Amino acid sequence: MEKESKSFVLFPSHMHGLSLERKLKENGIKYAISPTPRELSSCCGISIMISSTDIEAVREILSENPGIKTDGIHTINRQAKKRFFDF
Amino acid sequence: MADYKELWTSLDIDLEKHDQLCAVLPEFYGEIYMQQENRPEAMNYYNFVVSEIHGYRVQELADMRKDGKKVVGTFCVYVPDEIIVAANAASVGLCAGSEFWHPDGEKVVPRNTCPLVKAAAGALVGNTCPYFKSCDMLVGETTCDAKKKLWETFAEYTPIHVMNLSSMKREQDYINWQGEIKLFKERMEELTGVEVTAEKLSESTKLLNDKRRALQRLYETRKVANPPISGKDALLVTQIAFYDDPARFTQMTNQLCDELEKRIENGEGVFEKKAPRILITGIPMAIPNWKLHHIIETSGGAVVAEETCTGVKYFQNLVDESASTLEDHYKILADRYLKTNCACFTPNTSRIDDIVRLYKEYAADGVVYYTLPFCTTYAAEFKAVKEALAKENIPVINIESDYGLEDAGQIKTRLEAFFEMIGNK
Ligand code: SF4
Ligand code: SF4
Repeated sequence: MEKESKSFVLFPSHMHGLSLERKLKENGIKYAISPTPRELSSCCGISIMISSTDIEAVREILSENPGIKTDGIHTINRQAKKRFFDF
Repeated sequence: MADYKELWTSLDIDLEKHDQLCAVLPEFYGEIYMQQENRPEAMNYYNFVVSEIHGYRVQELADMRKDGKKVVGTFCVYVPDEIIVAANAASVGLCAGSEFWHPDGEKVVPRNTCPLVKAAAGALVGNTCPYFKSCDMLVGETTCDAKKKLWETFAEYTPIHVMNLSSMKREQDYINWQGEIKLFKERMEELTGVEVTAEKLSESTKLLNDKRRALQRLYETRKVANPPISGKDALLVTQIAFYDDPARFTQMTNQLCDELEKRIENGEGVFEKKAPRILITGIPMAIPNWKLHHIIETSGGAVVAEETCTGVKYFQNLVDESASTLEDHYKILADRYLKTNCACFTPNTSRIDDIVRLYKEYAADGVVYYTLPFCTTYAAEFKAVKEALAKENIPVINIESDYGLEDAGQIKTRLEAFFEMIGNK
């Protein structure tokens, strides 16, 4: 089966997430707001999904904007399996 | 991550059980929504709303209540939000779309009740839905029998106001509905201490019409040859319309439409060129009931419109903005709301006219008729709909399915055969 790896930026609150979103938009980095995967945190809320190849660029934005707090950038290597629908 | 435990505790949520619900949603949403390719960027707002579904908006409602505002929960598109908003209260649509709530629901309603009602019952009595818990009052209506009886159960738990909706559309029924709207207005005044004036009703009418116009604009974009947005994304937007802040929702949805209209200009669509265009008709789909759309759109189909309460029924008719007295408002509201053609009415032939009209407007290739088990009214209307559509040469397939996923593969097989048949037409 094909392996997919996705990276997620986690936040202490959605406000920080939305601030980073603005910066990503300005810098033309592709992203998607996503529910936080359970394996990364047991609290519901937003995270920002980015391509693993953009991690460095995102880290740079974060260091330029110390006001934006995150709970780290996490990558999951997941079997591309479907849990709910088998198609 | 954001910690909403304090908020949930203040709402008396069963934290442990609620956590089981939170555990499933990210992956479920991820599988259905996040795997789509070429999604509009503006869908990020709706991703945000779902990701924060039991946090952000619930917190907003809690803050409003701290400031003395009231929150009212509704279950049907016949209940006029104009009255609620004019009383300076927030309205949240509470239909429930997950079987997660069924075990709790079955403790208080019969097992053979439709999944929607059973889920709503379970969400309330099991203390697992923060939206139910945020409501100062619920508003029921006398549509189907299952709902009528549900209000009696709800009354044991929470304040509820029930509107007496007739099941016919004769002149006296219009007059009755005006009277019910007036009674509802008085009840809302009592609840909020805010006087509902003609002026405030004009303002709320304008606000809610703007929301309807944004949704109409969204659905317009689905009429083009290759729609710039998937059916399930459009469904999600409409579902969120039921409980988001109306002004913000309108703004965000208009932004989405800007992007979609640009896509149309650039000839950018999300479907395979030959995808059969599907009109869904039937019962409403509450979050997280995305099953049918997901099956259709992973079987090569494109959902282009929904003749449902989580579709065009919610916004296709605007409210006339010319009223200047309270009496005018009651009449105009009654006329607008009774235009909706629900299977709870008899006769309900106008629904058939709607289906045929929408089929043509959206250049559909086929109709999927969706019912839930134990929903007598919608199941019964299938026969008349099928016969009428046959006369127009419109292909239709009937799918009855509950919230469970066990039959997903079987539905997929049937739909694929249906799409092939339409394709060979
Ligand atoms: S299907 Fe009928 S009863 Fe249900 S929300 Fe729609 S109008 Fe109301
Ligand atoms: S789906 Fe049918 S049975 Fe269930 S609440 Fe709606 S009208 Fe009633």
